[in-house]
Amino acid sequence: MKADVLIVGAGASGGVVARRLAAAGFDVVCLEQGGWHDLDEFPAPRPEFELMARKQWAHSPNDRALPEDYPLNEDDSDIATLMFNGVGGSLILYAGDWSRLHPSDFCVRSQDGIADDWPISYEDLRPYYEQTDVEFGAAGLGGDPAYPAPFEPPYPPLPIGAGALRVARAHTRLGWHWWPGTNSVLSVNAGGRRACAQWGTCLWGCPEGAKASTDHTHWPQAIRDGAKLITGARVSRVLVGPGGLATGAQYVTEDGAEHVQEADVVIMAANAIGTARLLLLSAGPGHADGLCNASGLVGRRLMVHPFANVMGLFDEQLRTWQGHIGSKIVSYEFYETDERRDFVRGAKWSLAPTGGPINAALPTRAGGSTWGPDHHLHMRSYLGRGVSWGIFGEDLPDPENRVTLDAELTDSSGIPAPKITYRVGDNSRRCLDFQIERAKESLLEAGAYAVEEERLMRHSGWHLIGTAMMGTDPERSVVDGYGRAHEIENLYIVDGSVFPTSGGVNPTSTIAAFAARTADHLIATRNGQRVPA
Amino acid sequence: MSASDPTLGAVVADDELRDRLRRFADALIPAAHGMPAAGDVGVADGQLDKVLAVRPDLAEPLARAVADVDPADHLTSLARLRDRDREAHDALLLVVVGGYYIDPDVRRRIGYDGQQPVEVRPEIIPNYVEEGLIEPLLARGPVYRAVDDIERR
Ligand SMILES: Cc1cc2nc3c(=O)[nH]c(=O)nc-3n(C[C@H](O)[C@H](O)[C@H](O)COP(=O)(O)OP(=O)(O)OC[C@H]3O[C@@H](n4cnc5c(N)ncnc54)[C@H](O)[C@@H]3O)c2cc1C
Ligand code: SF4
Repeated sequence: MKADVLIVGAGASGGVVARRLAAAGFDVVCLEQGGWHDLDEFPAPRPEFELMARKQWAHSPNDRALPEDYPLNEDDSDIATLMFNGVGGSLILYAGDWSRLHPSDFCVRSQDGIADDWPISYEDLRPYYEQTDVEFGAAGLGGDPAYPAPFEPPYPPLPIGAGALRVARAHTRLGWHWWPGTNSVLSVNAGGRRACAQWGTCLWGCPEGAKASTDHTHWPQAIRDGAKLITGARVSRVLVGPGGLATGAQYVTEDGAEHVQEADVVIMAANAIGTARLLLLSAGPGHADGLCNASGLVGRRLMVHPFANVMGLFDEQLRTWQGHIGSKIVSYEFYETDERRDFVRGAKWSLAPTGGPINAALPTRAGGSTWGPDHHLHMRSYLGRGVSWGIFGEDLPDPENRVTLDAELTDSSGIPAPKITYRVGDNSRRCLDFQIERAKESLLEAGAYAVEEERLMRHSGWHLIGTAMMGTDPERSVVDGYGRAHEIENLYIVDGSVFPTSGGVNPTSTIAAFAARTADHLIATRNGQRVPA
Repeated sequence: MSASDPTLGAVVADDELRDRLRRFADALIPAAHGMPAAGDVGVADGQLDKVLAVRPDLAEPLARAVADVDPADHLTSLARLRDRDREAHDALLLVVVGGYYIDPDVRRRIGYDGQQPVEVRPEIIPNYVEEGLIEPLLARGPVYRAVDDIERR
């Protein structure tokens, strides 16, 4: 049966639009290539947790290699891109660090003369940030001076722990900004979900359901309101009719059978790699280079936030394998452009725990030669004693950083897989160099007896942004400020593809707010929406 | 690779492989500083079975690794394996470290009790508030760049 709205992807953005549209009486169908996951599937409580985290729940689909995953050719990428495919999408594995963009992130071109401005502002998104903060159960402390007022997360902050307290005191002495992190992790029981139990395993599935993901926060209500979520349904192509409007999508089920789902409106929510891949796969007569691609920008300007870790080791047992992972505390001290530096824009710092014994013992943490009797001394000085500043720098858009279709690699349904071409830009390198030095000062001031850095971590492509940018000019952008494709007026994109610039914060709060705004726009303009005959 | 995979079966039944693995693991993690040696903990015996039960995919690269490395010269042979066959190198280390650190006695000795639930008590006033760490931040005022006066392009 024809749907009012077809959503491709049941992750963060798909869940947000589905819940709103279903509540407003739209007939919603969602096609999702993965399936549902129960809380008791997650490995946290098992002794083998750290072993399973590296395979069954690995962040790279290339490592997991499950049938519902699609492989990625990353031979030409400095950074491995990470995601999860299933109901809830990458939120199954995300850390829950829930940060808004800052007002300046929306107008980088006007301020710094580079990249592009967004067609919308912080103030346009602010009401939606406030609504999605409630929907995702954001826990944090109100009044952060790094944001314009009002900034009031709906739930009280999570505990920051002894390590972060040391760093907070250090920043007070240095006169540097810090603030308790805002996380989309419940600090109290709410909405039928349990509060965080500080398992410290958020990145491999939350066994409490305390970390927000749309399989708990959005899909159950959307389904109660009539939305139909078809799992194990891999979209191979978005269909376009003779009138130039989208008519639905073709998809393949696990048994290899092909199906068509027709709809009046198609919404892409497959993340910045999945959406770009599908638009490119949907090339056909009249759009030989892929759908909505007259600008040539589909797949281009991929941004992934080059990342560095700076860890401080303390001579006190801080049990830093425990507790939520997203952010204990944040610092925006070096976030805005400062003309005295040799780079523009800046970075966010999030203080995170440092994991369990297997993580501590392997060479990524221990170095290549901590074997023999000294191994035990390394573990004694390391395990539970480290806190780590995770640093995301603004990633400026570069059209050569892109998603294309690989000529040979395919997924388990035989559909061409994406190829990622990504090089870390000079501005990002200079920015990270600067931030790493400041982060060391922060940790030494906090009393760390040693600091270790991990510059440009390869497996850090958590944030997928920018491959179908929004803008006002159809020649220089793919969608408008509501995510509506310039070329196909009943096709919308609501995931991170639409970001014209990356900002320097975790993107999901903004992805959710943007998706909510688009859904409200669709509801408000329902009667004027042109649909296929 | 599934649990019934022939490579897994071959690894599990291979006494010589277990013997070589035990000697290599003892070189990486010997008995010292009050901690037992990896072999005594069973990383080539019962612990190996536990690791492969959740990670059957490690069996094949482990077999390659064990055939390649020399316990008498563990650091050199590990570095050589890393350059030649990264997957085998990583599998070998994960089997040794994984088998060792999922052992309850080892965990007790290092003071790690596994990932445990701990109740969050939001009603308790955080130390940073009690210590007055928030006031100076508020007194300093905004740290974001206001853009109201910016002409957008
Ligand atoms: C390990 C990890 C940690 C992270 N930590 C954070 C964090 O702390 N804070 C933060 O803000 N962000 C974090 N992120 C990023 C965050 O998860 C993403 O920004 C967010 O999930 C993106 O939402 P989305 O709707 O765009 O896509 P996703 O949530 O990725 O959902 C896309 C969905 O589309 C489906 N799909 C794709 N192609 C098809 C197809 N052809 N047919 C059918 N279905 C398809 C996929 O299966 C998937 O379920 C993290 C990500 C990872 C992987
Ligand atoms: S720390 Fe909290 S959010 Fe993270 S996995 Fe545990 S209960 Fe879930």
